[in-house]
Amino acid sequence: MTKSHKSKLLILLILAAIALNVTGCGLKPQQNTVAGSDEQKDFPLIIRLEGGDWGFPSPFAHYSRGPGMAKMRLIYDSLLEKGEKGLIPWLAKSWSISPDGREYTFVLNSQVKWHDGEILSAEDVKFSFEYFLKHPPVSNSLLIDGKPFIEKIDIIDENQVKITVSEPNSTILDRLGIVRIIPKHIWETIDDPKKVTDLDKLVGCGPYILTDYSQEQGAYRFQAFKDYWGPKPLVDIIEFVPVSDPVLAFEKGEIDLIKVPEDLMTRYLGNEEYKLLKSPAFWGYKLMFNMEKKPELADIAVRKAIAHAINVNELIEKVARGAAVPASPGYLPIDHIWHNPDVTKYEFDLEKAKALLNNRTLDLVLLIADDQKEARIAELLKINFAKVGINLKAQAVDMKTRDSMVKEQNYELALIGHGGWGQDADILRENYGVIVAKDSSPSSNVIPGYSNPKINELCIKQLTELDEESRKAMIMELQKIISDEIPLLPLYNTVEYAVFRPQKYDGWVHVFDHHEVTHNKLSYLER
Amino acid sequence: MFIIFLLCLMALFAPILTKHPWNMPSGSALEAPSKAHILGTDDLGIDLWAQICYGARNSILVGIGSALLSSFLGAFLGIVSGYYGGITDLAVTAVIDILMAIPNLPIMIVAGAFFGPSVKNIIIILSILSWAVPARLIRSKVLALKQETYVKVAKGYGANFVYITFRHFMPQLFPIYATSFIKLISKAIVSEASLSFLGLGDPTSKSWGLILNYALNFSGIYFTDFWKWWVVYPLAFIICLVLATAILSRELEKVWDVKLSGL
Repeated sequence: MTKSHKSKLLILLILAAIALNVTGCGLKPQQNTVAGSDEQKDFPLIIRLEGGDWGFPSPFAHYSRGPGMAKMRLIYDSLLEKGEKGLIPWLAKSWSISPDGREYTFVLNSQVKWHDGEILSAEDVKFSFEYFLKHPPVSNSLLIDGKPFIEKIDIIDENQVKITVSEPNSTILDRLGIVRIIPKHIWETIDDPKKVTDLDKLVGCGPYILTDYSQEQGAYRFQAFKDYWGPKPLVDIIEFVPVSDPVLAFEKGEIDLIKVPEDLMTRYLGNEEYKLLKSPAFWGYKLMFNMEKKPELADIAVRKAIAHAINVNELIEKVARGAAVPASPGYLPIDHIWHNPDVTKYEFDLEKAKALLNNRTLDLVLLIADDQKEARIAELLKINFAKVGINLKAQAVDMKTRDSMVKEQNYELALIGHGGWGQDADILRENYGVIVAKDSSPSSNVIPGYSNPKINELCIKQLTELDEESRKAMIMELQKIISDEIPLLPLYNTVEYAVFRPQKYDGWVHVFDHHEVTHNKLSYLER
Repeated sequence: MFIIFLLCLMALFAPILTKHPWNMPSGSALEAPSKAHILGTDDLGIDLWAQICYGARNSILVGIGSALLSSFLGAFLGIVSGYYGGITDLAVTAVIDILMAIPNLPIMIVAGAFFGPSVKNIIIILSILSWAVPARLIRSKVLALKQETYVKVAKGYGANFVYITFRHFMPQLFPIYATSFIKLISKAIVSEASLSFLGLGDPTSKSWGLILNYALNFSGIYFTDFWKWWVVYPLAFIICLVLATAILSRELEKVWDVKLSGL
């Protein structure tokens, strides 16, 4: 039985190889399998990944998207870390919360070394929180609706820190836990941290040290920190290198992990040389409505008409090539622990859309990034919108320009894709119930010209609710209201497959709230 | 000539030649060439033949439009600087030198990104960047013509710039004008393709460059069968048109060279 299977596989492989040679793509992936385990001990394990410029990886200068944040986080550790199931102890080996929910005491690991050999102290922890309040980092969890919530920070002894917050709140632990700890002896003299671009200032206590960064090429080189306090780094060197075509580069062994396009799945599936990891659907596209610039969009009938005029299944089939799931109009995606399956859904129905528009015609400009997928989505939207009397014009700009235009609320309709859909349900508040955006990340936004007292109230209520069950009930209700209102319209969440060669490195793992294996440091460390 | 004619016809009669719409899916995504879709479909399920026919309009429009504009600009500035000489000449030749020295593509990218993607902008940017070559050719020809006795005589009788330009310069300059016009067409078509290719065209319009751009950016296309129709056909059309215009300009040069030397 197995023998016949094997021979079948062999024949298939040979056929595939011949087919490849015939089509002129004579790439032989088999060539790269020789790296034996003995060799790995002698040579440092170098993992290469697709590069791209995501900014200088200091907490103040990286680009506010996943790849930028992830690189910064390789260098800097935080009190807690996101694990496969939830928050795990990290620099803090344990923590306790006072019964009134206002005091958080963290017990630090001792003998944690900074990259420059100094020892991390409770003083550094206190300093980091205070410094970030003065100089907000790119990814800022220390503000709620634009206001700081930390009342005071006390050093109890050399490895215990107590943080007192002004109000009990369900998201505090998460917010405090992910704050990067930065060395006091480096930053205390720096007044404008955004301008720091010296590699030797990037002293963290994380598992990797940045040794090279080339902004022009979008190349980074990280080296394992040999005195790292925590789990041993399994990967000695991580390099982010520029590649023109990730698939080609992966086939040639130039990079070690790619997200495999759906059409190439068969190429890697069932092949022992490769391993595939399915990502949770925590990355997605949403359509933003600017009701200030385009008052017509404040009319809920118009938003509903738009929702009915979008064929999400067609988008998934054609643009995502099947590798996605429809997003929930209530925002939290299907893989989110608190996803509400009973929200109002908007099936593709042009007649209904026309009826909702009631013979009105609309001219809208859709802001997109100059990206293949977004242009394709725009084209499909345009086709269906035209049928119901909405004249859509696509405006394509560079991705970073688009991101900042969305932040500046300089658009009518905007299509934007980002990660972070799996984070704590407080993202609902950050997307629907705020007047100040959390930080510059595209995963939190203000909806211009929209404010719904019911949503706002529930957003605040869930935040201060400490009982998990009743908070969950609120989140469920909130999703329902949001789906009735659709102040912004989630389109689809991608389900990606990462493919890699397990012989070279097999440590890749997803953390509980993120879609990308290369973005968390657990993927590079011993577990 | 024949090929160009054919391609122009194709662009003109696109509605008759195609049974599928160019801007709407008519089949399922990425169908291989078949009877229903002779060149297959793209990732949205839009018929490729229809896209290429209609895309020809854009490509040829950009080609002819910017060639027309830039050769006109080139001719005008060339004649002016040749005729008047002095500071005018100095200024124009300086600009020509600068334009010829700086690399065009980066400028086009910056300008395209700055002014926003649209056919009109592409034509304008391409013309601004490509008038230098015809201007220089025409300027030197005008310098030579200015010394001709009949021009001097005409001037002596009080003929003004406009009269001399149309009566004496234009007929002589026409061959240069025409060949550089044709040359510019092919240059513009390639530039349009590369600009759209870099994502600076209107992302939802159809031109050959854009079709190709989408195809090449399709993740892992070479490991699928899709490139056999999605990449090959638009590429073939671009190459055909560019080769045809190049050959035409060669031939024209030959024909007129004979005429010129016979004068």
